[in-house]
Amino acid sequence: MSEGTPRTPSASPGPPREGGPSGPRRGKRQYFRKKKVCRFCVEKVDYIDYKKSDVLQSFVQERGKILPRRMTGTCSRHQRWLTVAIKRARNIALLPFAAKM
Amino acid sequence: MEERLYDLIFICRPDTPEAEVDKLVSLLDHSAVEKGGKVEKVEKWGLRRMAYRVMKYGEGQYVLMQLRGIQGEMIKELERRLKVADPVIKYLTIRLDEEMKRQKKLVQRRERRAARRPRKSAPAAPAVGEQTSAAS
Repeated sequence: MSEGTPRTPSASPGPPREGGPSGPRRGKRQYFRKKKVCRFCVEKVDYIDYKKSDVLQSFVQERGKILPRRMTGTCSRHQRWLTVAIKRARNIALLPFAAKM
Repeated sequence: MEERLYDLIFICRPDTPEAEVDKLVSLLDHSAVEKGGKVEKVEKWGLRRMAYRVMKYGEGQYVLMQLRGIQGEMIKELERRLKVADPVIKYLTIRLDEEMKRQKKLVQRRERRAARRPRKSAPAAPAVGEQTSAAS
């Protein structure tokens, strides 16, 4: 009887859609995420300096990859400037191209 | 032709004596002036760890020069000198004036916008609560 229903909450025998907007929906995981805001927009940055490697460092992975926008919440314009800055910093050995673990 | 702004960074070997770095800076300064440019500022960052090894050195002495120039010849000459100079292990020239122009434009735009529309207090939103109660 209860074999083919994995992960169903036992307290919802009725139709699942009637739970209201905040009710539990079956099958889909729910994400409650804070809306990320572009850090540079908050600080009203007009130019991302490639020399400030400590700032850039927080936008690259451990291995030296540039973090995607969806991870950091940077807006598209600032992400564009950021990539340029990171690439410049790499050229003068302020940031690694590929860091050793 | 309009004036251009450049960043010139170079890295010296970690064991270079201070005097030699100074000599190099003054040499570059001299040849920049010769080509009609001028050095705005010189920053010596001192010994710094590099993110990766360059010519088998793990660290290097960074020197930043910001300069203005009107002809690309100047950069050509400076880069030639850096290539020839013995203690230099890496250098990079970046043209900055266009980004500075963009930055200035953005600042101006923001100021204009602030002047046109002085910040009001945030508009209250009581309509949301009413709508939800009506829907149920």
